[in-house]
Formats: sequence, C-alpha cells, structure tokens
Amino acid sequence: MRRLLLSIRDGRGFDIGLVSVPLIFLFAMAGLPLIYNIVMSFQEVDMFSLGTFARPFVGFKNYITLFSQPETWPILGNTAIFVVASIAGQFTIGFALALFFWTGFPGSSWLRGLFLVSWVMPGLVVGAIWNWILSGDFGVLNFLLKESGLVAANIFWRSDPNFSLWAVVIANIWLGISFNMILLSVGLSAIPQDLYEAAELDGANVVQRFYTITLPMMRSSIGALVALGLIFTLQQFDLFAAITAGGPNNSSNVAQYWAWDLSFRQYDFAQGATISVIMIVFVMFASVVYVRSTRHEVRG
Amino acid sequence: MSIALRDKLMLMVAVLLAAVYLFPLYWMYVTALKTGSAMFASPPSFWPSDPQWSIYGSVWESRNVGRYLWNSFVIASGAVSLIVILGTGCAYVLARYRNAWVDVGLFLILMLQVLPASLMITPIFVGFSQLGLLDYPRVAVILAIAAKSMPFFVVLVRAAFMSVPMELEEAALVDGNSRFGAFFHIVLPLARNGILVSAILIFMQAFGEFVYSKSMIQAIEYQPASVGLNSFMGPNTNEWNNIMAYAAMYVTPILAIFVLLQRRIVSGLTSGALK
Repeated sequence: MRRLLLSIRDGRGFDIGLVSVPLIFLFAMAGLPLIYNIVMSFQEVDMFSLGTFARPFVGFKNYITLFSQPETWPILGNTAIFVVASIAGQFTIGFALALFFWTGFPGSSWLRGLFLVSWVMPGLVVGAIWNWILSGDFGVLNFLLKESGLVAANIFWRSDPNFSLWAVVIANIWLGISFNMILLSVGLSAIPQDLYEAAELDGANVVQRFYTITLPMMRSSIGALVALGLIFTLQQFDLFAAITAGGPNNSSNVAQYWAWDLSFRQYDFAQGATISVIMIVFVMFASVVYVRSTRHEVRG
Repeated sequence: MSIALRDKLMLMVAVLLAAVYLFPLYWMYVTALKTGSAMFASPPSFWPSDPQWSIYGSVWESRNVGRYLWNSFVIASGAVSLIVILGTGCAYVLARYRNAWVDVGLFLILMLQVLPASLMITPIFVGFSQLGLLDYPRVAVILAIAAKSMPFFVVLVRAAFMSVPMELEEAALVDGNSRFGAFFHIVLPLARNGILVSAILIFMQAFGEFVYSKSMIQAIEYQPASVGLNSFMGPNTNEWNNIMAYAAMYVTPILAIFVLLQRRIVSGLTSGALK
C-alpha cells in the first residue's frame, strides 16, 4: 500500500493516475454511448422499452426500414450538398482573405483576429441573426439583392423548398470563414520567404508563384482543413434548429438533424440510432484522413 | 506607389472587409433598438433614428433572461471545471512522453473530438435515463459537454505543455522534488496561461451549447439561454426586435471577453488547432 502511494506521488503511478482517470471518464461518456448506439440500431426501441436493457434484437430491420423510407435518399443528398457547398464557400472565401491579410500591413493581424468573433458566438445566436437577415418580406438580404438588381422579387429563403437548404448554407459559410482563414494564415506564415525571393529573381509572376510555391507548400494544411471542414459541417446542428428546423417538408433536412428529429421529435430512438451509426462511420473516415494529414504535427 | 500609400489602401480595404463580415452582428444591435414599425419599414433604415433602450429591460423581465443566463453560466462553469481538473493531467502526460502508447491515446482522443453531438445524444439520452441521471438535468448536460469538449482542451493544453522545457522539470527532480511537487510547482505555473486561454475557449463554447441542453433539460427553470432563445423563435414570429435584444444580451458578455483577450485567444487557437 505504501509503495503504491509512493508511486502515485513520485513515479510511474503519477503519470498513469493522471492519464487513466480522464480516459476512463471519456470511455464511459463517449466510448460506451458509441457502442450502445450500435447495439440500439439492431434493437426494437419504443417508449415502453426505453428504460430496460433487455430489448428484442431485430437484426438489420432498422437499416432496411430506414432505406425504404422515401425521404432517406433526398436527406442524404441534402447532406452531401450542404457539406460540399459549405466547405467550398468557406474555403474559397477563407483562402482569399488569408492571402489578403498575409500581404502584411499595419493592423493586419488585429483585424484578422476580429474575424474570429463568429467562432466564439453561440450557434443559436448566429442562427437567430441569419433567420432575421434571410426573412422573406422584411429581410435585409432581400433588400440588398433587390437594390443591386440581382433579383427581381423577394426570395423566401426559409419557406421556399428551393432555397431553404441554401439559407442554412449561407449562414454556415459565414460561420466557417473565420476558422478557415485563421488556419490557412498559420499555414501561409510557415512558408519560407526566400522561396518567393528566389522565384521572383527567376522571373516568376504572381500567378506562377501562387501555383508553384504557395499551393504545393500548403498541401498538408489544405488537406487537414478540408477534412476538418467536413467534420465541423457534419456537426452543424444549431443553425438548422434556428433557421429552418429541417423544413419545409424536409427540403432543408440533413442527416445529423434528422437523427435528432427522429429520436426527440418522433420518439423513434431505434431509427435515430441507426442513422447516427451510418453518419458516425462517415465522420470517423474523415477524421482518419485528418489525423493522417497532420500526423507529423501530432508527433510534434 | 509608395509603401505608405499601399499600406493605407490595404488597411482601408481590410476595414471594409471586416465591416461587411461583421454586418450581421451590427444588424442584431440595430434591430434590437428599433420600434415594431421601424423594424418592418421598407427600405430598412441602417441607423436607429429612435432608439428604444427600454427594450432591454422589458425583454429581460418578460423572458426571464437572468435565469436563462444563470443556467448557462452554471452549466458552462461546471463543464469547464470538470474538463480542467481531468484534462490538464492527461494533456501533461501526453506531452511529456513520445511513444506508441501516446500516439494511440492521442488518436483515440482526436477520434472522440469529431463525434457530432446531435448523433451522440440519442445513446447518451437513453443511457442517462436508464441510470436515472436525467433527474439531475444540469448535471447530465455538464457530463455530456465535458466528454464532448475535453478532447479539444487536451489537444490545446498539450501544445502549452510542449512549450515548457523538459530541462526545468528535470532540474527540479534533481533538486529533490517529487514528481508531484515538480508538476504542481514548476510545470503547471509555466503552462498556466495556455491552460487559462483554453479554459476560456471551452467556457465560451459551453456557454452557447444547445443540442444536449435542448434534449435533456425538460424543466424550463433549468434551461440555458440557448434553449430559451430557441423557444422564443417560433416558426411565425414577428417580434424580431425583442429576439435580437435577447440575442444581444446573450452574446455581449462573450464578445466582451473575446475583444479583451483577442490576441491570446487567437494565438491559443492557432497553436493547438492543427495539432
């Protein structure tokens, strides 16, 4: 007993104690739910069997039911559109801003930091503000679009099935620009400056320097960022809850909102667990790509 | 073109870009000050000609904003305390050693960081209800948020520990300190700033948390401000000035912390985010 205490105070036991308690906590709070989720996706769960562990196993019935529903493929399609459009928008605008601030002028780092404000704001607040900006009759975005002559009539962003998904995409792009910009700025500042000087002496113009130096040097940053963008976009829930709630008629529903909606609105926990399992496999795949592309940095 | 002129021009463009980007925030504050009719005026006015300052008092009273913010504060503080107590030691060990076990641990932690909350809530909810934890809804949410955010904290704080030179700790050990003493008297004080910034970041995230609270807290008197804002926004609402006033009261404390600590928050984020 004394040796154990001594080891905890001054030896290997100290490290093991420090690392094992959080790992046990994480296993109980994240690992076990993950396993439980998979188990539930093979069970029949209803309001009455919610309190017991002994539920009938039904094999792949939940998965078969899920894919026989007419809304499944459109919602998965929406998820793909949402992810691709959000990442494309965030990345393009974020990269352009990062390149702009990278030129360096007095006040550039302070102003660049100001953009991160969107990252610390509660998602519901961002959603509420965009909900109001995108409002059909009185929204300021419609006003600006009409004044500039881009559209002839008001767009009903939230209630028109053709636009509802894009309403959330716009808000999500706004939210994600700052994060993309900051991470790309970090990558840009790591490029040795003498590469550019050498290229300039050799007569390479701005466009050539961008394609032959900046892009190749940024390859691992960009890979990590796209994977991270995929992870974050698949986590986006608050904006859907605040702007469209998946509607109208599922036209802006995505898998991660649908899973919650099935469990907590329709109390179909088995279906919610099933779609969760499918999406988590996707996210895991993205995170393996992410970890691989930053592995040299993880090892420090 | 001279350097000074170029700098001025770039600065002007940068300010313009920041203004465009931050317009939604400005629009929130302006809308909150408008009267019911000014809000729906066409064309909308971009400056509140007749600011209604009393709206803050009336929304604070009628929506019980104080109680909601207090619940958010309780939940965020609880989650951050738990994360700091458990996560700091974990980050320290992961920063101090380099071997295959550390790689495995880091990999597992990174994997946990990516699980979307809206997908994890289904098993967490069912599991917690079976354990009876849902009778203490705020505790349940604190536990769930702690598990969700701890990986991010560990990654950030690990970067802070890596910047503390190992030689200092070794010198303390040679001088007769125990591992325990060296950790608390040498390493921890040196990494304090990094830990503090990471804790503030986690606090701001937890302060805005929505999915877990929405799903697990049924009793209105325990709900945080995010859930309150959600129930304020019905599908056909037209009280946008009140909603924006609520949103402004919710977000202004966070913005104040952010502006005060901007430089540290940005450097803290960038040091750990890609690692």
